[in-house]
Amino acid sequence: MGTVVELRPRAHEEFTSSLGMIVFLASWAMMFAALFFVYGFARTKSVAWPPPGAPPLPVALPALNTVILLVSSFTFAHGLKELRRGRREAFKAMVTVTLALGALFLVLQLVLFRQVAATGLSIGDGIYGAVFYSFTAFHGLHVAAGLGILLWVLFQTRAPNAPPTARRGAINEHNTSAVRVCTMFWHFVDVVWVLMFLTIYVL
Amino acid sequence: MDIQPIHAPPTSFLRRYIFSTDHKVIAKQFVWAGLVFLAFGGMLAMAIRWQWAYPGAEVPAVGRLLMPRSGGVITPGTYQSIFTMHGLIMIFFAITPLLIGAFGNYCIPLMIGARDMAFPWLNAASFWTFMLSQLLVIVSFTVQLGTAAAGWTTYPPLSTNVGTPGMGQTLVVAAVFVTGVATIMGGVNYVTTVIRFRAPGMTYMRMPLTVWGLWLTAILNVLFVPVLGSAALLLLLDRSFGTQFFIAGAAGGKGDPILFQHLFWIFGHPEVYILILPAWGIVSDLLSFFARKPAYWYKGSVYAMSAVTVLSAVVYGHHMFLTGMNPLLGQGFMLLTLIISVPAEVLFLNWLHTLWKGSIRLPSPMLFALGVVFVFGLGGLTGVFLGTISTDLYLHDTMFVVGHFHFTMAAASFLASFAALYYWFPKMWGRQMNETLAKLHFWGSVVGITLVFGGQMVAGYSGQQRRLYDPYQYTFLSHLHELNKWTSFAAFALGLVQITFVANFFYSVFAGKKAEKNPWKVGTLEWETESPPPYHNFDVIPLVVRGPHEYSNPEVTKLLGRDWLSQTETLPEATSSTGSVAPEAIGAE
Repeated sequence: MGTVVELRPRAHEEFTSSLGMIVFLASWAMMFAALFFVYGFARTKSVAWPPPGAPPLPVALPALNTVILLVSSFTFAHGLKELRRGRREAFKAMVTVTLALGALFLVLQLVLFRQVAATGLSIGDGIYGAVFYSFTAFHGLHVAAGLGILLWVLFQTRAPNAPPTARRGAINEHNTSAVRVCTMFWHFVDVVWVLMFLTIYVL
Repeated sequence: MDIQPIHAPPTSFLRRYIFSTDHKVIAKQFVWAGLVFLAFGGMLAMAIRWQWAYPGAEVPAVGRLLMPRSGGVITPGTYQSIFTMHGLIMIFFAITPLLIGAFGNYCIPLMIGARDMAFPWLNAASFWTFMLSQLLVIVSFTVQLGTAAAGWTTYPPLSTNVGTPGMGQTLVVAAVFVTGVATIMGGVNYVTTVIRFRAPGMTYMRMPLTVWGLWLTAILNVLFVPVLGSAALLLLLDRSFGTQFFIAGAAGGKGDPILFQHLFWIFGHPEVYILILPAWGIVSDLLSFFARKPAYWYKGSVYAMSAVTVLSAVVYGHHMFLTGMNPLLGQGFMLLTLIISVPAEVLFLNWLHTLWKGSIRLPSPMLFALGVVFVFGLGGLTGVFLGTISTDLYLHDTMFVVGHFHFTMAAASFLASFAALYYWFPKMWGRQMNETLAKLHFWGSVVGITLVFGGQMVAGYSGQQRRLYDPYQYTFLSHLHELNKWTSFAAFALGLVQITFVANFFYSVFAGKKAEKNPWKVGTLEWETESPPPYHNFDVIPLVVRGPHEYSNPEVTKLLGRDWLSQTETLPEATSSTGSVAPEAIGAE
């Protein structure tokens, strides 16, 4: 029986983990696609949208939120570049900014919920109300999960040989595959939001 | 090659047998979990058949124990729960874990020459998530108002709080969501493993058809189970958070119940291929192995299965011909549905050609594989009547549909599960199963299946609607009582025959005759290693030089004195001078 081998060829592992994430995101995309199908189906069947008597949704605040999330995607992607260049501190700063933007997004989302609730739209108001509250809340859960992941990334980042070096899991310039996979997830959540913004708020 | 390093096996009992990340241990866990729920689902089927044979009569032996309040009689409410849970348990909690969970896990790494899955930890997480979903199902039986009762399709408004107000329905919908997550985790693993961890020389066109079937299934799982997840999620929102996606009309809401049917069948039609593709793959391989012939037109089988995989995504509308669908749309779906029978036929003809002039051996796995060919043939042919709108208008929602999908999806995947179990048992447990009992199990099962599901088809063709609590209260169906009674007797016999398997399985796991490394004389990679394989599967990652079906090649027989060749074997020097069987160049990684 052999002993535990210390290092795996990084390139192979990074490709494998990225591929796994791509497959997973394709799967999760189908889940959101089904939600969009529900929305589109309901809209094409209704005579007017928003349905008669239902208040229109605000656009300004969600637009701001879209910008926030897009910027956060860039900061995270830039962070990964910094990490690859070995600048761990710059990377951590970028992840922190991403984290803050994500949190801001969630806070503004809650503010938006309160605003819309004040106009009299409730979750029980047919598909219109249900789509607005539940889809954006479901997406919000993904952002929240993303924040958890970002925190984990921050916590795991340390110098290559700093004790206690966990052989696996420690994130540094030699081991970026975990971060790469996390950025993919974050960009995905971002893209889903842009689609939601365009279909639910703008159109 | 340290892309796949050899790890020392864990030493603690928990890490080794319970929370293991070893794909072989996880596969066995799925076998146990699947078999227990298969027995459970089977008993529910017996209860349904009892009700149809003797409506309103006390269930013998266990009736009073399980249903004391009704005096052992199946009440209409209980009956609804029974047929609902029979379907859900069999599909999501018995056949899926057996065919995909167990054999997907066991066969994929071993047959492509890998040491484990791409993400072993995710694999274990998948199993334990699946366990959670089974737990939810069990709990749902104990809550007030009982378990789910809206049919396996869970159509609203019956499945909303209006139709099934109990906690049980919510728990079961949650269980379906959770099991979907488990399936996706497994699927991500399978898809990635096949792409990244094939041994050097194991090109796509050298993979055993079993792996092809499991891989295509994994792709379908990854893409379409999430759609079911969405449907379950929205239904849960409707049930517990006051949304109105599916509640409409008299049920008091502004949603659309048909919407759920769309989501359900966008998933639901690929699902029937999810359950049958692994069976097709396994059968294609077994027929070749035991006819001692190369699989006829291997590439054709691969193309056919791939074509079915693609087409399965665009035919779902045929489940909804009677929902007021636009007739033009209906015709489109009909056309696509009938087109799917072309690749299915290619595959079927390949099977027959593989058997043609083979030197057929008939051990139990081969018998079960032939059983699959038989029942799938019957089921496939009857599907044409349901895919065609003009006949479906009459047959829709009758027992004919029930008979059809039991032949294709239930019987074929059931028999294929057992073919696989009997075939890989020596590898999994290192012991042989008893052949006599296995053959008894086969004949009992295949005769029983034909009679039961055939009986259902005849009843359906005579106009019996599915899901009726007491069909004979309608005068136009009362003459079918005798038929249903005899169908039920066949079902009870089918149930009893399974005891031979249970006895055989338990005896063989613990005390069966020790199996050799390669008892079936087959050339795929899993038979290259010990039975059962070591923790790391292969001491050296094998180098693959040929396809999986090298049988009865006269040159091999002349040189080696046997009729098969392993996927890693090169022929002795003498042959390479003739130039006929020179091993091909290997693209080593």
